Order: sequence, then structure tokens, then C-alpha cells
Amino acid sequence: MTAFLINLATLAAISGILASTLNFIVGYAGIFSVAHAVFFGLGAYGGAQVALLLVPNPFLACLVAAVIAGGLSLCLALPALRVRGEYFVAASLGLQMVAATLFAELKPLTGGIGGLVGIPRPELFGMVVPVLPLALVALALILWATARLQRGAFGRTLQSIRDADTAAEALGKNVNAAKTLAVAFACAGAGIAGALYALHLSFINVESFTLDQSIQIMAMVIIGGAGTLWGPLVGAVMLLSLPAVISFIPFIPPTEVGAVQQIIYGSAMTLLMIFRPAGLLGDMSKGKSTS
Amino acid sequence: MTEVSLRCADLARAFGGLQAVAGVSLALYAGQVTALVGPNGAGKTTTFNLITGNLRADSGTAEIRGKPIMGLKPWQVARLGVARSYQDLRLFTHMTVRENVLAATEVSAWFWQPGGRRAQQEREHRAEAALDATGLTSLADARAVDLAYAERKFLSMARILAAEAHIWLLDEPASGLDLASRIRFGSLLKEAQTRGVAICLIEHNLDVVVELSNRIAFLDQGRVLAEGDPDTILKDPALAAIYFGDRPQEAA
Repeated sequence: MTAFLINLATLAAISGILASTLNFIVGYAGIFSVAHAVFFGLGAYGGAQVALLLVPNPFLACLVAAVIAGGLSLCLALPALRVRGEYFVAASLGLQMVAATLFAELKPLTGGIGGLVGIPRPELFGMVVPVLPLALVALALILWATARLQRGAFGRTLQSIRDADTAAEALGKNVNAAKTLAVAFACAGAGIAGALYALHLSFINVESFTLDQSIQIMAMVIIGGAGTLWGPLVGAVMLLSLPAVISFIPFIPPTEVGAVQQIIYGSAMTLLMIFRPAGLLGDMSKGKSTS
Repeated sequence: MTEVSLRCADLARAFGGLQAVAGVSLALYAGQVTALVGPNGAGKTTTFNLITGNLRADSGTAEIRGKPIMGLKPWQVARLGVARSYQDLRLFTHMTVRENVLAATEVSAWFWQPGGRRAQQEREHRAEAALDATGLTSLADARAVDLAYAERKFLSMARILAAEAHIWLLDEPASGLDLASRIRFGSLLKEAQTRGVAICLIEHNLDVVVELSNRIAFLDQGRVLAEGDPDTILKDPALAAIYFGDRPQEAA
């Protein structure tokens, strides 16, 4: 039971990082990416290769993962600079599909469909360390950084771009540079989550980095409350705990847990959009007519 | 004549077969208000968009205090001291009034602004001064989306004030304002004039134009038909006929 809870807590912390970093670009910059799992995957493969080929040092793995994911975030930033709204969603969807195919095909780097196995446990000073404290520290640091950026000038710049990008630009803001930085920050954070994920599970394959994962991360943000600091974390914990909670309900046959879970997800999303369109921790007045 | 803050010559821009701006030449002078007047579709807002870099000109030149600005991006033009307002205001709707104005003082796109704490205090002071000048101090913590129409108009002016630009391009800034608000708006412009700000406003309310402007440029079909002091321009019967839609029919 303890191992089960530790596993759940570790995955919740990793999902919290993913949701918080996606929230940074969705909630503050209005960049609705459905390709966050791509950068999660890039970080996971990068971190795993560091552990497999060099040393299982979690800090080095996270650093390499952040650099790879942050660097390749230009693939997402470039369409974000040219298109908005539903057009960008479509562009990021394309990126997600291309990346998932590459993850499945680039065997020397990703292990192909079979993935990378036998990823060593993380070690510090010659001792194996659990991923949970590392993930919690990373989550805390990312939440702190997000809060600092959100409440400061950069957060205002992103929100001004989200609300009226032409007006923001007319006030001297280099909108393209700000968007690129925001996307790099968010993707680097997703990369760190990926490295921790790979070190935690010791096995990764493309199944964890598909569109389903991207949509689940987006759902965490929306359910918790886009544009809030704690909302995405609440959303991540809820969505991750739900399958575990359902599996403990005695009258639901184990074979039906998946179906029940989908029904609950769907119903919750529908009710939420009706009664709390800005998410559980979101501003109640958002999403409703103000005229 | 006072110093020229902005000069554009022969600006032209076509959209497909429509020649929206067809060789506009214009000068804006420090401390003076120039009104762009003309019927709908005359090319007034397009001229603004060409100056600010929101649209690329097919031909023509523009310069700010002698520095060419053609080809620059809107944020680069803004950093040369140009601020503009929009007909549809384009406020940062989900930010507070104070955040809207503060955002106008923060131009760096980096994770932090240059200059440290002292520069930050200076920006906050500028923002508070702009809120005070526009009468929005008591609404500083309200969200822009929750403001009344006139307050929104003044918020767009507060952003321009805080940006400390020396050229203001205002697109119908007084439309929809009641008399008291118009007087407040007029005093804002007069105060800016004393500081040497060159102001260009697009305005359909001719009372406002007469009251506030030093010069008028009359645009029609993408061209400046006449330029001069308000009395002369507005008393020209041919221009009045064009403005009020009584255009002489061209020979077939």
C-alpha cells in the first residue's frame, strides 16, 4: 500500500509539473497547445539516455531534458507566432502527431515502439534516491518560478498578449520574443517532468507521449482552473487519483473501471463547463457573459 | 513652425483592387493636434496602421524625428515614441486597471525588466500618475472588462500616458463620451500638448475636432484633399459635401 501511494504521489507531482507548465502558456499567454506531451516525451527520452549512457544523476538528466525540450520548443513557438486560436490548436495537433510517429520510429534514440527499458534508478553520491522527493522539489521550484513570473512584469506581458496582442505590441512589447520565451520555459519544465518520469518508471515508450496524454494534461489545467497558480495542480491530483479511487469502489467490477472512469470524466467536464467554466479554482466571472 | 515629430510622404497601400491609401503625405508637429477628418473608408485608420507598422506600405516613406520607420515592426515603432489607441480600445480585459497601465510601462520581453528596483518604482509611479490624470485611481483594482464605456476610454488613454510617448495616434478617442468626459479628455490632450506631444486624432465629431485640433487634414479616397486650420477646412463647401455624402458625381 505504501509503495502504491508513493507511486501515485510521484506521478501526481510529475503531472503537477506538466499541468503547471502547460498552464503557463495556456492560462497566461493564451497559447492552447495540445502538444505538451511531445516535450514531456523529449525530456523523458533525453533523461533516460543520460541515465543509460552516462550516469543516472537526476540533476544532469533533468538539465539535459530541460535543454532538449526547451530548445526544441521552437517547433511549437514558430507556429504560435504566426497563428492563433483554433489554427494554433490544429498546428500543435500536427506537431503532436509527427512527434509521436518519430518517437515510434527513431529506434536508436527512443527504442521505437518497444521503448527504452532498464533505465537505472537515480543516484546521488553513489546512493539510489527515490524520485518522489526530487519530483516534489522540482514541482515546488516550478510553482515558485511560475508564481514569480506570473505576478511580475513578464506575467503582465503574457496576459496583455493573451487579451490584445496588437495593443501589447503597440505599447512596445516584442510579442514574438515573449511568446517564444514563455513556450521555452513551459516546454523545459515539461522536459524535467519527462526525465523524472523516466527515472521513476525505469521504462518509457511512445504510449506515454501521445495525444491522449496531451489532452489529459490540458484537462488537468481546465478542470483545475487555467490562469491560476494552484488550479492545475488540483486538476492533476484529481485526474490522477480518480482511477485509483474508482478501483477501490467495491461494486464496480474491475473490468468496468475504465468505462466508469470515462463516464465520470465526461460528466465532470460537462458540469464544470456549465457551472464553473473557469475551472475549480478559476475566477467565477470568467467565461460568462459580462455585457 | 514647431518641430516636426513625424513626417510621412506618399504613403500608399492597396488591398486587392481597392486603393485604401493613395499617396498620403502628412506631418505631425510637437505640441500640436492634427485631426484626420474624412468620410468612412477615406483611409484614416489605414494611414495609422501604415505609420505604426501594423500594415506594410506599398510605397512611401515615414520618419520620426528624421529616423526612417518604414519596415519596422509595430513594437519597434512604439519604442521610438509612438503610442496609439484603437476604435475598439483593445484593453487587456482580464487584467486590472492598474495592471493595464503598468503593462504599458514594461516594454522588455525578457523574464524581467531592466533597471532593478529603482526602475520598477519609477514605472509604478508613472502608472499611478497616469491613473490619477485619467481619474481612474479609485478603480485601479477593478478589471478592465468590468468598467463602464467612458472609463474604458480613459483607461486606453491612461496606457498611452504611462507609455510616455511623444507621438499619440488616437482613433476616435472621444466617440461615445458625454460632455463632462469630453471636457476631461480635452484637458488631457491640452496638458500633453504643453509637454510637446504631437497628437493626431481621427474624429467624426466635428465639434470635438474644432475644439481640440490646431490643424485638419481632410482625407477622401486615400488622399489628403486639403490641409489647414480648422476654420478654413470645415467651411469649405466642397469638402463639406464630400464629408456629408453629397459627393459630386464623376463624369461617366
